Amino acid sequence: MAEPIVLTVSDLTVTYRGRGRVVTAVQDVSLSIAAGRCLGLVGESGSGKSTIGAAVQGIIAADGSAHATGRISIAGRDLTPITDPAWAQVRGRDVTSVFQDPMRSLDPTMTIGRMLNRYTGSAEASVAALERVQIRRAGEVLKKYPHQLSGGMRQRVMIALALAPQPRLLVADEPTTALDVSVQAEVLSVLRESIEGAGCAVLFVTHDLGVARHMCDDIAVMKDGLVVETGAADDVIARPEDAYTQRLMASRITLTTDRMRPVGAPEPAVVASMRDVLADQGRPGDDVADAWGAGDLEWERFMGRTAAVGAATGLSDVRLVEHVTRPSLAVNEVDKTYWSRVKGRKVGNHVLKNVSFEIGYREAVALVGESGSGKSTLLRIAAGIENPDSGSVDSQGVAGEGTQVIFQDAGASLTPWRTVEELLRERIEHTTTGAGMSRAQMRALALSTLELVGLDESVLAARPTQLSGGQQQRVAIARAVVVPPSVLLCDEPTSALDVSVACSVLNLINLLRHSLGISVMFVTHDLAAARLIADRVLVMTGGEIVETVGAERLAQDITTDYGRRLVDAVLA
Amino acid sequence: MLVFVAKRLGSLVVVLFFLTLLVFTLGKVADSDPVRTYVGVNASAEAVEAAREELGLDNPIPVQFGSFVAGAVQGDFGISLSSKRPIADELSTRLPATLELAGWALALTVVIGVSLASLYSRPGRFGAFMRFVFFSAASAPSFLIAMLSVLVFYKWLDGALPAAGRSSYGPYEDATGFYVLDGILHGSPTYTWDAIQHLLLPAFAAAVGSGVALARVLADGISSSLGSPWARTARALGEREGTVLRRHALRNASSPALSLLAVQAGFMVSSLVVVEQVFSWNGLGSYLSGAIGVGDFPAIAAVCLILGAVYVILNTLVDVALAAVDPRVRLS
Repeated sequence: MAEPIVLTVSDLTVTYRGRGRVVTAVQDVSLSIAAGRCLGLVGESGSGKSTIGAAVQGIIAADGSAHATGRISIAGRDLTPITDPAWAQVRGRDVTSVFQDPMRSLDPTMTIGRMLNRYTGSAEASVAALERVQIRRAGEVLKKYPHQLSGGMRQRVMIALALAPQPRLLVADEPTTALDVSVQAEVLSVLRESIEGAGCAVLFVTHDLGVARHMCDDIAVMKDGLVVETGAADDVIARPEDAYTQRLMASRITLTTDRMRPVGAPEPAVVASMRDVLADQGRPGDDVADAWGAGDLEWERFMGRTAAVGAATGLSDVRLVEHVTRPSLAVNEVDKTYWSRVKGRKVGNHVLKNVSFEIGYREAVALVGESGSGKSTLLRIAAGIENPDSGSVDSQGVAGEGTQVIFQDAGASLTPWRTVEELLRERIEHTTTGAGMSRAQMRALALSTLELVGLDESVLAARPTQLSGGQQQRVAIARAVVVPPSVLLCDEPTSALDVSVACSVLNLINLLRHSLGISVMFVTHDLAAARLIADRVLVMTGGEIVETVGAERLAQDITTDYGRRLVDAVLA
Repeated sequence: MLVFVAKRLGSLVVVLFFLTLLVFTLGKVADSDPVRTYVGVNASAEAVEAAREELGLDNPIPVQFGSFVAGAVQGDFGISLSSKRPIADELSTRLPATLELAGWALALTVVIGVSLASLYSRPGRFGAFMRFVFFSAASAPSFLIAMLSVLVFYKWLDGALPAAGRSSYGPYEDATGFYVLDGILHGSPTYTWDAIQHLLLPAFAAAVGSGVALARVLADGISSSLGSPWARTARALGEREGTVLRRHALRNASSPALSLLAVQAGFMVSSLVVVEQVFSWNGLGSYLSGAIGVGDFPAIAAVCLILGAVYVILNTLVDVALAAVDPRVRLS
């Protein structure tokens, strides 16, 4: 027997008007979900997926900037998308939602109990609600404030809140995007069990095809406000028909992705950079796009001669890297403790316990672990931003100047009032390479570096806020390599980006690494991305490196329980 | 919470000690001889010596500081150099006058702030007009507001509100010195109402600037609270706008407003010095400006110390209030 349809969206079109421009966020979208089914709405930033999530709750901006046509029907009640007064009866009863940011989606001034009791009716019912989302010691949690809970706990509380009114439809808008991978797996399984118990329909908005496949019965793929493909989840993933869906699928990085070649579909900007690299090395190659498309474009091909190494070693060919014995980065017995006061007592948090490792010339090493494992502290110490309590860091490699960092939030790491040219010049001026350079020379160097990361001259005069997230991350990379460092330190550089943009950033890092002869330290919680960049993967937990694994056969070779858990958390 | 309050009180004592040290040091390094101020320019050398001994200025500096602190703790600030009377006596009527005015001004600040905050965030022309009016008001110095309000309410409106002094009747015997309170304690509505009327103009003049500042911060806080993810959560759970505002936004918006209020309370004390002059208000402000004129350092020190203490106490109260409002302050 077919379950009744809970949500029907017919011919929904949403436009936003602002500064004289009209932007169509969603165009002629129709979809429906039956009780007990989960529909995944998959797309990248700006595809309109979150607008639909907001529309089916009647919370599209009511300030007059949005305009919508079409019908939405929830649990048999017909509604217009924006202004219908009947939304007041529907929202919070028939439809509730779980949002992305568990840090800020709960009122910081209220205890969990005070929030939850309002929707469950009593403290006993709240305890039961928390136990349903697998929170132990629920009675204690009720007395806590949101900032006293971990991200995973907060998101469980969100789920309990959303399911408390027993809705017919639950909207989950990127519910695990802000969480660590292993926490993500836990929260997804809690969410899955909870909605199975509740029997409601679910609209699951996500950019992550892996998550969508794990959670959803059906998938609708969105691009530029349009639904380009719908179908059963397994069909869409296994046999994507639309070209865009195929491209999304190709951009997915898993533990079996080919590490020796660029990932994803050939991208014009990266292809252009590759041609530049080859031309600079005196081996012009017009066939890179074809070779990439055909799958036989190996990174090996971009290995160039590096003058600095030649001078330092007397060898002219970089293939003789084995002769370079000095590591690019040596971390020796680094120890770090953060002290804080809790109720008047000094409490130490021992974040790094006697950590040692080396990164060889041209080698890429990934540090993987969850929040609190100490990996980011280690990166900051390697960058010289922080000092270790004891131990030492040596980043005087044979080639390149010092260390440079690429951060997760490129937008925040670029000074907002400086132009891109000024940002790059700032780095050039502080190096020995740049000493004595004229403005024009620095400009030329900046420009050629920008071209290398797939940007053009027009970006030079722009300020960071005028650029997209992907462009900002490229500018950050350009700043880091405009004078090649001996080690490029990357702190989760792709985890805030859309999959296709993340792909091109990973391709760029690989290209730069091979052509410029830079060593890379890549800090991430994403094992698949780590494996793609690195030659060796160091697994960190509790401030210690517990395992070192070769990247190629990472999934098979990893032995520690903790490492295995990280591998299992990668949603295929 | 109790621990938090106790900690704040502990630091209050420390701050007050250093304030005392600062005021005392300023008196010592100031380029004027207190003894000369006391005995007059033409006094004989013996008279000067006698006065020096009488004022305790022949003792070593640490001893002088010790007795200064011991006196200040008991409310004894020594003798005024110009009037030769104990400063504590002179302040006994003026302190309540200023505290009463400051209290009303602060209350008016909150009233202005909260009521303007709702006008402030109105969209459209009306909101824009109100923003213009209050920007103008806030950019005017308080003495200008004081004189303007005298002009309007006393001159043009023919004495609708009194423009000078604290009362038309004078103080009661054995009273608290807070006239409105005295009126109530003595069961006299006429006296109370008269005192309130006298308070309105000076309190308003002192409150406008900080009221507008408060309104801005409160309005900004409320609008950013209403746009925050947890407000969206509340809406998605079916709460109406009014409930989102009352239950979630106001409380979250009030912590920056409270911090601002503490700073504004400090400015208020200094603007009272001017406002008291305009309204012939016999408070600490007019006493201070008189004392500065003749270089009466013990008097200046006493007023600075009292105003400083009031300021520090107010800030401590605000800190405690902040902790009550925001669990992150209290529990981190």
